[in-house]
Amino acid sequence: MSSSVESRRATTGSRRSNGPDMRRVVYRETHSSRAVVSVAAAVLVLLLAGYGVLESGVHAVGQPAWLIEPQVAAQRIVDLPAGIPPLLLTAIGAVLAMLGLVFLLNGILPGKRARHLLGGTPGEQLPAVVVDDEVIASSLARRARLAANVTPDQVMVVVSQRQVQVNVRPTSGVPVDPDRVLEAVRDELEQMLLEPAPVPRVNVTQSGVIGA
Amino acid sequence: MNSTPALLNRVLLTVLGLILLGTGLLLVLVAAVPSVGPWWRSWSAGAWDAASRLFDSTRFPGRPESWLWIVVAVTLLALMGLMVAWIAQQGKGRSNLVASEYDPGTIPGDVRIGGGVAEHALRQALEGRPDLAGATVTTYEVKGSPALKVRLLPRPGVAPHLLAAEVSGLLDALESVVGREIPVLIHIGAGARTRFSRAERVR
Repeated sequence: MSSSVESRRATTGSRRSNGPDMRRVVYRETHSSRAVVSVAAAVLVLLLAGYGVLESGVHAVGQPAWLIEPQVAAQRIVDLPAGIPPLLLTAIGAVLAMLGLVFLLNGILPGKRARHLLGGTPGEQLPAVVVDDEVIASSLARRARLAANVTPDQVMVVVSQRQVQVNVRPTSGVPVDPDRVLEAVRDELEQMLLEPAPVPRVNVTQSGVIGA
Repeated sequence: MNSTPALLNRVLLTVLGLILLGTGLLLVLVAAVPSVGPWWRSWSAGAWDAASRLFDSTRFPGRPESWLWIVVAVTLLALMGLMVAWIAQQGKGRSNLVASEYDPGTIPGDVRIGGGVAEHALRQALEGRPDLAGATVTTYEVKGSPALKVRLLPRPGVAPHLLAAEVSGLLDALESVVGREIPVLIHIGAGARTRFSRAERVR
């Protein structure tokens, strides 16, 4: 066993190239899954198809229809605006269109999760690391708080896909240097090597906090 | 990291969404716009005539029913089968083995290492760390080869890159114990709340 281990280490010299499908795995982690909507859609189609099977099977063996004779149903559909209150028809149409829109948007929209891929320190090869934005925000908030020398309550960090907004409320009478905070945040971001890389912005509010 | 068919899901959802959206809009138009009514009646009557002629020409000899109904029923059954298969594809991919390989040594047989080994070893190593509120390790099968997913829940303020570097050191040690390279995904999360919110704010 050990000999095979040695040879494998030797052949795959660069450790954790992570196989060809790691990008797919990372994609799955940074984009939300359509599994729930898919199951709902499949169940919907299953129910409709099940009813269709029942009705057409009953018809094929010459038995009376269960709910409605297919010919009658088709005839009703053909002379549609007649035979049903227009308001009800509009409502049914609107509900169907809404449902369709939900499925369509779920199929088309990118569905990015609030997560970033961590590049890791260069030279040191990391496995694929995916970080929730909230974790990044709290790490940056800690760093910004130390740079600004304020309490945790006075710093708020918002992390989005391409932007990091740091809001600092200084203690009354103690000025906060925004450049120092920005430098600290930027340094932390550079160490993280996020992908996609967000741009940090620091906002120091005019009004201070008393007695913090 | 499971093998949910992402592209298939999107394609099928898009198709179904377009069909439902089209039907709904058509119904609304037929109900609301007066000039659409006659057009719909003439068009659908023509289509229905063609369909009923088809049904008439495919009757069982000596009976009023058309065998086309059986075709319809079988087609719908096949559709149901496909839908069940589609549902069954969702969220698959958990596995129990970290390594399973033929051992080229003198003793005949295979070597299989369960996912519990990686799980217990990592949990043991991560236990008692003050910067972690929790950690879970799961084994997946990605395209036939085993992979590990390590989910870490750090306490507020922990630098994620340092944590990732330390855990990857542990993973290195695990790999040298197991004797095989395992693709690893580390997910540093903040709990279940993150699923619902987009822009993350922290005080």
